[in-house]
Amino acid sequence: MADREVVFRVKRYRPERDAKPAYRRYHIPYRNDMVVLDGLNYIKDTLDPTLTFRWSCRMGICGSCGANVNGQPRLTCGTYIRDVHRGVVTIDPLANFPIIKDLVVDFDDFLNKLASVKPFIVREEWGDLTKEYLQYPEEVEAYRQQSMCINCMLCYAACPVVGASPHFVGPAASALALRYIRDSRDEGADARLERLNTKSGIWECTFVGECSVVCPKDVDPAGAIQTLKFLATMRHMRRLLMPKMASR
Amino acid sequence: MGARLYPWKRPRGWWLRNPRYLGFQLRETGGVVSALYGLILLNMLRQLQVGESAYTAFLDLMRSPPVLFVNLVLFALVIYHAITWFILIGKAQPIRFTAKPIPWKTAFGVNLVLWLGVSGAVVYLIFGGF
Repeated sequence: MADREVVFRVKRYRPERDAKPAYRRYHIPYRNDMVVLDGLNYIKDTLDPTLTFRWSCRMGICGSCGANVNGQPRLTCGTYIRDVHRGVVTIDPLANFPIIKDLVVDFDDFLNKLASVKPFIVREEWGDLTKEYLQYPEEVEAYRQQSMCINCMLCYAACPVVGASPHFVGPAASALALRYIRDSRDEGADARLERLNTKSGIWECTFVGECSVVCPKDVDPAGAIQTLKFLATMRHMRRLLMPKMASR
Repeated sequence: MGARLYPWKRPRGWWLRNPRYLGFQLRETGGVVSALYGLILLNMLRQLQVGESAYTAFLDLMRSPPVLFVNLVLFALVIYHAITWFILIGKAQPIRFTAKPIPWKTAFGVNLVLWLGVSGAVVYLIFGGF
């Protein structure tokens, strides 16, 4: 049984009645094995059914329960209350995104950015689609780290460049672009690098590195962007020096 | 989207809310300061070219307590900039001599040792003899 109590200070915004977001406090009994998402569900189930937030898998896979917990972007399902509270846990919607309601933010802009880097395998000729495109383990290893991205948006919430320059393509979309560029089955590197080698692309990144710090899957988007800068530069130089051979 | 979205507003002093943001701002400020340092050194060469009295006046100005204090602050920022960049080198562009890239700590250590070695050599050249 829960024998202790913690205060959840939750940012609320109800568009039909609030002019701007404001905090509301909830007293929650908790045990050592409770995560922040459990606390939010306790509020929803017993204190205030109007509280709105996203969640699904409760095991750090779906990436939908992200929020700023005490100012840090975190998956609420993977954050134990015991680790973050000093009597009070402050929960805000993810920074750098417009708020739809309470802790639910609008990801449309990210989805457009993600689509712009073609996050899928691109091929000119698909060949025999009844056969598998086999890969050696080292070929899988080349993109395995970036493929772990779950689109949780914590990296966008942590990135001050996204906050200052909303047109910046951002960390996760860049990491996923690299994921497909490094895939031996893919032929879309040139189009992706063309997209990323723009003013709204990778050159906006000033390497704060906070995206890699908060990433719950160790994707290292900051490192991915640096690699993309190198690849984009090499592509540019190839086109400059060998225009006839300009390709990947 | 029918709902009335509440737009994101970046709070003032955002860079004070996270020590890593503060570190980043100091690093970038250190970069600007490095350029300022370069201008001061270029001006020193200019004064040297103008003549002895101009050069002496420049040195006197640099020895005055307020300028010394400013130089101390600039120097600290340049040192911070240099060290944080050495930390970033191995992360910014992992060097692949082997199957796995060199760990950033190794890259940092090598850069630090080289930096100290070159700095020591310069100090010896200026103050030590030859």
